Amino acid sequence: MKEFKPLPDLPAPISTTGPIGWLKNNLFSSALNILASILILAALIATLPGMIDWLFISANWSGTTQADCVKDGACWVFIRAWSQQIFYGSYPDSELWRVNLCLILLTGVIALSFTLPARIRNQISVPAFLVLPFVCVLFLDGSYIGLKQVTTNLWGGFSLNILLAAASIIIAFPFGFLWALGRRSDMPFARSVSVTCIEFFRGTPILALFFMGSVMLPLFFPAEVSVDKLLRVWIILILFMSAYMAEVFRSGFQAIPSGQYEAADSLGLGYWQKTLLIIFPQVIKVSMPNILATFVMVFKNTVFLLVIAVPEMLQVIMTALSNSNWLGGHAIEGYLFVGFIFWICCFSMSLLATSIEKKLDTSHKN
Amino acid sequence: MSADNQAIKKTNDKEIIVIKDLNKWYGNFHVLKDINLTVKKGERIVVCGPSGSGKSTMIRCINRLEEFQRGSLTVNGVEMIDDVKNIEAIRREVGMVFQHFNLFPHLSILDNLTLGPIWVQKKSKAEAEAIAMNYLERVKIPDQALKFPGQLSGGQQQRVAIARSLCMSPEIMLFDEPTSALDPEMIKEVLDVMVELAEEGMTMLCVTHEMGFAKKVADRVIFMDGGEIVEQNTPHEFFDKPETDRLQLFLSQILQH
Repeated sequence: MKEFKPLPDLPAPISTTGPIGWLKNNLFSSALNILASILILAALIATLPGMIDWLFISANWSGTTQADCVKDGACWVFIRAWSQQIFYGSYPDSELWRVNLCLILLTGVIALSFTLPARIRNQISVPAFLVLPFVCVLFLDGSYIGLKQVTTNLWGGFSLNILLAAASIIIAFPFGFLWALGRRSDMPFARSVSVTCIEFFRGTPILALFFMGSVMLPLFFPAEVSVDKLLRVWIILILFMSAYMAEVFRSGFQAIPSGQYEAADSLGLGYWQKTLLIIFPQVIKVSMPNILATFVMVFKNTVFLLVIAVPEMLQVIMTALSNSNWLGGHAIEGYLFVGFIFWICCFSMSLLATSIEKKLDTSHKN
Repeated sequence: MSADNQAIKKTNDKEIIVIKDLNKWYGNFHVLKDINLTVKKGERIVVCGPSGSGKSTMIRCINRLEEFQRGSLTVNGVEMIDDVKNIEAIRREVGMVFQHFNLFPHLSILDNLTLGPIWVQKKSKAEAEAIAMNYLERVKIPDQALKFPGQLSGGQQQRVAIARSLCMSPEIMLFDEPTSALDPEMIKEVLDVMVELAEEGMTMLCVTHEMGFAKKVADRVIFMDGGEIVEQNTPHEFFDKPETDRLQLFLSQILQH
């Protein structure tokens, strides 16, 4: 009998791999592509040197007052002089450690969920995440744990953007999940409540919700009841975010093949076991890009709080711009800085989400 | 020896599935018409028929993956009524293997197998893993325990799916076209496992077009068409002396190539 011998693998042609192949495929593959590449290159040559010069070379880096900005470039002294307010708002100097502690706790809990072994990850990270917002509130306020009280009107700056967004996202996660389950439920009551909530909060602009929460809601309460403004904002963010998360989860639920439900049913798993052990982990996996998009959206939406005078980062910058010692146009530096900081954070979240996606991917498709 | 046979004979008399006048509609479409079927403990039944004949729907009624509108169904002495506790009690007794395996892709093979014993039967993790490894050995893939379903071939995945059902030590196993989604080279390894299971005396209901399997292990072959059981008989009679022209036509079509 003749023996079958497979042919050996040959290396791919040089023109399709390596840097030359890359250039050819990505920048110069067609006439239109060549034209676009040249135009973009020309635009970069025309603008980049001026930009770099303004941003870095002739920028003013050192000093403490506006008078130190003598060179033509950007006046980064402005950012430096206001840095504490930009990051911490009006939180008292002596108590800043509390804000830092909260940020460290947040980072710690996130790091924990990445480093813990899979066996105990969920049992520890989930409660840690859910408790975190309340621990932060206790520390930031202080009065309940024997520290000096810092009222919420002093909280502010970028730390407020971060913590408020994180606290909203964390609480909105289970809410959104429940709403999504409710919307898919066979029970008419659960379904109609969920649909109403989701459609109301998704169909209303966040700015309108903020105004409603800060201006209208107090009118409905009796005069002696006053709910803290930041608390109202937090609740609004949670509800708004929950509605979006619910729809994200719902699309995830719909991506799970019915065979998964049937297999879980045929094993005799109950509704919650099936939902939490089989369906939810897969929903999280397919929804990861959308979950991230929603996170980023809410994080950026915290900037809108300036319309109801919550001193978040952009509000602090605008206050600084109208300060009599700094009149005369540092708006570009201020806004660029805000944009840059948000971009850094959102981009890191994006990287984080990509790594989570990779971690969750057990499909082993090519 | 004769005492053993006596014991088997006794259990064989126990009616483990009793289906009486079962009717089911999808909207206005009448999928199952007056199905009557009694399965004894240890019996191996193969169900065949053209697509759309209601054979999958019928066996999916047995563990309530499908509801029915009229008639009655009793599994292992428990009557199927519209009650969660009741349904879950029946599902614990009935294992099911699907055409598309339906393994849980986010769990390792071992976790796929231990999930039921741990969460439904409340066994300890160690005990569940011992059971799982035992069944993985029986389907001859213990070395794949820590891999994920996506890393296995179709045949291996289906064997894992069979092992997953067996881990719950069911009284009855339902197979819904277990080899239809497999490459030709992998059908045999799955059928071998099923033959072994049949030889051990498991009660099996199997929707399949593997006529070789039916001839080899089935006690009874059932032919369905248009939502009815048209004919049922021992494999020998079924294939050699079909009573209806409909079955004759069906057999001539599937056996010709």
